[in-house]
Amino acid sequence: MPYFYNTPADQQAMLAAIGVSSIDELFAQVPAELRLGRPLDLPPALSELELAQHLGRLAAQNAHIGEKVCFLGGGAYDHFVPAVVDCVAGRGEFYTSYTPYQPEVAQGNLQVMFEYQTLICQLTGLDVSNASLYDGGSAAVEAVLLAMSVTGRQAKVVTLGSVHPQYREILETYFACLGAKLVTVPTPRGAADLAEVAAVVDGETACILVQHPNFFGCYEDVSALAKIAHDAGALLVQSFDPISLGLLKRPGDLGADVAVAEGQSLGTPLLYGGPYLGIMACREQFVRRMPGRIAGQTVDRRGRRCWVLTLQTREQHIRREKATSNICTNQGLFALRAAIYLAEMGPQGLAETAELCVRKAHYARERLTVGSRLSAAFDQPTFKEFVIRDSQGQVEELLAQGLDAGYLAGIPLGQWYPELADCFLVAVTEKRTKAEIDGLAEILAAKRESTAPRPHARLAKTMV
Amino acid sequence: MRNLKSTTLLFELSQPGRRGASLPPCDVPAPEVSELIPAAARAGGPPPLPEVAEPEVIRHFTNLSTLNMSVDTHFYPLGSCTMKYNSKRNERMAALPGIADLHPLAPEETIQGLLALLYELQLMLGEIAGLPAVSLQPAAGAHGELTALMVAAAHFRHLGQARTKVLAPDSAHGTNPASAKMAGFDFVTVKSNASGFVDMDDLAAKLDDQIAVFMITNPSTLGLFDRQVSEIARIVHAKGGLIYLDGANMNAILGIARPGDFGADMMHYNPHKTFSGPHGGGGPGAGPICVTETLGAYLPTPVVEQRNGHYVLATNRPLSIGRVRSFFGNVGVLVRAYCYLRTHGPEGLKAVSENAVLNANYLMSRVKHILPVPHGERCMHEFVATAAPLKKNHGVTAMDLAKRLLDFGFHAPTVYFPLTVPEAMMIEPTETESKETMDAFAEALFRITEESPELLHDAPHSTLVSRPDEVQAARKPIMKWTAEVGPAS
Repeated sequence: MPYFYNTPADQQAMLAAIGVSSIDELFAQVPAELRLGRPLDLPPALSELELAQHLGRLAAQNAHIGEKVCFLGGGAYDHFVPAVVDCVAGRGEFYTSYTPYQPEVAQGNLQVMFEYQTLICQLTGLDVSNASLYDGGSAAVEAVLLAMSVTGRQAKVVTLGSVHPQYREILETYFACLGAKLVTVPTPRGAADLAEVAAVVDGETACILVQHPNFFGCYEDVSALAKIAHDAGALLVQSFDPISLGLLKRPGDLGADVAVAEGQSLGTPLLYGGPYLGIMACREQFVRRMPGRIAGQTVDRRGRRCWVLTLQTREQHIRREKATSNICTNQGLFALRAAIYLAEMGPQGLAETAELCVRKAHYARERLTVGSRLSAAFDQPTFKEFVIRDSQGQVEELLAQGLDAGYLAGIPLGQWYPELADCFLVAVTEKRTKAEIDGLAEILAAKRESTAPRPHARLAKTMV
Repeated sequence: MRNLKSTTLLFELSQPGRRGASLPPCDVPAPEVSELIPAAARAGGPPPLPEVAEPEVIRHFTNLSTLNMSVDTHFYPLGSCTMKYNSKRNERMAALPGIADLHPLAPEETIQGLLALLYELQLMLGEIAGLPAVSLQPAAGAHGELTALMVAAAHFRHLGQARTKVLAPDSAHGTNPASAKMAGFDFVTVKSNASGFVDMDDLAAKLDDQIAVFMITNPSTLGLFDRQVSEIARIVHAKGGLIYLDGANMNAILGIARPGDFGADMMHYNPHKTFSGPHGGGGPGAGPICVTETLGAYLPTPVVEQRNGHYVLATNRPLSIGRVRSFFGNVGVLVRAYCYLRTHGPEGLKAVSENAVLNANYLMSRVKHILPVPHGERCMHEFVATAAPLKKNHGVTAMDLAKRLLDFGFHAPTVYFPLTVPEAMMIEPTETESKETMDAFAEALFRITEESPELLHDAPHSTLVSRPDEVQAARKPIMKWTAEVGPAS
């Protein structure tokens, strides 16, 4: 039931003070012919206990990652979330506050935004960060729009087949309205062919959008791509994996002009895809074209250091149709989570997390490809994800067998890449244990010899 | 008793060698990373993040939290933002492992319970809107607007009509014009009349066969229900255009009137407002949209469909505009909205709007003797007062009042919006506040107007910091900490 205080006596007193006789009279401005005139056709109200029972039943129909070992990635990862993140982010003073329109009573949020921006700059090696966007996909789109804005090139953007296919789909949706063209260079060997990219980048190109490590887990030569872009007067936009930066060169050090990421890896659970965190950082000269909120340092009237939202003349509430973007929110709660996560991890923790990912992923790739049926689709080094090809082309059956045995074994790639219909994407985070990886290998290995159902998968493995 | 270190930055707390998290040793035989990562990609060392111990992490952020006002701690009458109580039971439900710990690319057969929930949510949102086709994908209200305008654009492309204009009144949220531009339209502002409603003459003058969409916020940002809405819909439809309803103010009309019944073809919800999702310091939100059956064909992919008792993510939708967000959407926010709707039911939702409107009218009846409310004898869920006479007579601005309210323990209303009212103070108490709280707020406002202008110009007086110098912040922006910046004096 509604969470209000008003008793019938309160209501009567308030109506009397207003000078009307009924609540209905307050709605007189809604013409009778526009009223609904019947109850909404919705299920009746549940009590808290009934709600808990109902949600419990629905939740029980879902296989969560505590029940099925998760080897799924593709832009959302089962990374470890330290307890401090939930503890602090769950505080009502953060959780139930809003945009810091009154900075004097929002210094907590503003300082967190400022710290988050600093952490993202440290992470990416770029000059400025905004206070976050919706998610990795929208951040990639906004970065491309920023590149189109600063270069004045509104017609063409170049990207790669190895960029997250959903991010490219979102770009296509936006471009359909803007009349711009997205040129996608295929990546049949798992990463970009530089000559092929160079051949399509020209004086009309606003930017190259690259993902590194890419959707297949492979490394891209971002420095070389940045040179191709810059030689044509275009920008280089890199979508990165925040965890990878424990070990990899930073986007800013590789020559990226704008770096974007899905920030879910930094302390946010999987949440079936959202809400997540869109990270965006760029070089200083582009800051006035940057979308989203930005916190800045200043002083109060007594000269004390404090924080405010700044450069708001970029934003829709002031610039309206001339704004850099229509975005009028950030993902404050998830920027907070990322800040806590990065503070808790520190440089060593992030490096160790990345190291566990890359070594375990390497081990998993080796284990899965021991036999003749499964192989690595790309002959390239990979970070925490890799693509496996089933020589018998029975990806669906293979993954179903994994699921029956308790494994979310991988993401079938045929839905986005017809030429990879016999392939699936496997992700390995620091949370995966040797036993889990060995278990997955055993299950898929049991399938390796025959497609007939086998009651004793473990025995089958020992006979291989 | 304030911890004097609370505003020290993480980076200033950092000491080499300190750390929080500990990670397990690697349990698999694998080469060293130097053999696994190409040299060209490998960094010389980890990024220069701060190094702090875990107790420091907790103390730092916990102390920072106490520098915020929030719904859990304060009355927060921020107009247009619907800062109502955020139900704790919904938090518990959204955190269930069977809800929160699901991978967005998991096979459909492993998430049937969640898909059932989302399917049911689509139906409920469609019923409340009177617009049956629903997309849960947009990530925020502004994203919902943009998505709907893309739907409209696709619709007109399909019809072979090149319509270029989106119209909205001058009182509209800034997101309306910004979204119109991002969807590839030209934006045209329509004037409001003296009563704060759409100026029908101006609309008629600007209406031609180039119109794609008229965007209307109803109830409006002035807290008024525009009775002309069905007439507006009639003339816009006659020109072949569509009506978009900005659903920011749905809290006033749940179960009372439905946008689809008063002429809207498309709308978005702000579930973080109307359906009580916590605002999280400025996000997350969500921006599900509802459209007519005809426009449903153009909604983004995927939508949840039911087939023989089985729930699927339908992607084969040839007229769809495509995808507007990675994965499915802001599911965590949507789950809370679902819980809110299920615990309120039809009578509860109507009671929400009745009490939101009662509270707003009650507070207006108290406030209008202190500050004029230029538009309307009655309001819906919020009202806009003006400090213009106070400014003229005493030099006291809406901002002064807002800042001084903070000293009395109240969050300020939205100020200087809508742009059509000078020295605007937009006040929305919501249904989850008591008469006593509103009385205390009105009393504080009255006392403040009796105070000396000098005192008010310098307010707030009780907060940790006084008014920040925003001009300096924008002129020489400092957007990150560096070793050179250091603490100010």
